[in-house]
Amino acid sequence: MTSAATMWTVVILAGIVTFAMRFSFIALFGRISVPPTIERALKYIAPAVLAAITLPALLAPDGSFDAWNFYVPAAILGGLAAWKTRSIGAAIVVGLPSLWLLQWLFG
Amino acid sequence: MSNTTADSRWTDGVRDVAPILLSVAPFGLIFGVTAAAADVPALAAWASSFIVFAGASQIAIVEILGGGGAPLVALVTAIVINARLLMYSADMGRYTVATPLRGKVSVAYLLTDQAYLVTSHRFPDPRTAPSVLPYYFGAGLGLWTTWQIATTLGMVLGASIPSSWSLEFAIPLTFMALLVLAIRDKPGLVAAVVGGLVAVAAVGLPYHLGLLVGTSAGVAAGMASERWFT
Repeated sequence: MTSAATMWTVVILAGIVTFAMRFSFIALFGRISVPPTIERALKYIAPAVLAAITLPALLAPDGSFDAWNFYVPAAILGGLAAWKTRSIGAAIVVGLPSLWLLQWLFG
Repeated sequence: MSNTTADSRWTDGVRDVAPILLSVAPFGLIFGVTAAAADVPALAAWASSFIVFAGASQIAIVEILGGGGAPLVALVTAIVINARLLMYSADMGRYTVATPLRGKVSVAYLLTDQAYLVTSHRFPDPRTAPSVLPYYFGAGLGLWTTWQIATTLGMVLGASIPSSWSLEFAIPLTFMALLVLAIRDKPGLVAAVVGGLVAVAAVGLPYHLGLLVGTSAGVAAGMASERWFT
């Protein structure tokens, strides 16, 4: 077992660095002026990071490429529901039961 | 959450984040269950929910240390996973230029994928947005409270939550929905397609680096594609 001291040290250091990253630019804005190129880039962070989180989670759920799994169709249905309704809850309400149904039918 | 009104109320922040809590709660439960089952001191694992307050990195710490990994590897992995917060900080900073220091510290502590994304979705342009802070704190505290309760419950309930419920699927589902809502124009679509495909291609990279590689490629592609669509 990892010792309590080791675990606490890792957790506290991770907490400090994570807070520093969260605080970094929030603290700097207003003191420095942001170049227009960076301003433009910021617009694309949300779609790029969300796709970079979502696609691997669906197409490589266990860390290696495997697009043939029930997550993919269930997530497409959930995504369509979110797109139609502009609501995040709809993705869960449609997507999770879709997965259960697929697992029940073909699992 | 698609209508953009000028005022910012904390109740609106809570309301917009409420559906997301449907996926944050299972995610928290999963972390709690993982932490309770792992071979790590339980109290420190539990405390990471408010010390680190970033789910994926908390799971990484517990899994690496529980699996006998080196503490330095656990720490570096957690930091790399959380490096995306730098990007959110850069964007949120535009909304908090006039905020006093104490407010900035609170904004930073509560900065998560979901709090950032609902706020930037609701108030796309910081120049026309009012103080977004009431809205942001409503969303952020809703998420924080849910996370603390869910991770604690997960640790207490442990293995009594059946894996056949596939609750972990709520996480990619939420990100899928946030993705659909975040694509506002064609360059945004290009950023998403390139970011996603590069991240899939880079999935074998250590320390979740594929996330940063994919995001950088997506942002660059979105910017480069602007001239095709204007």
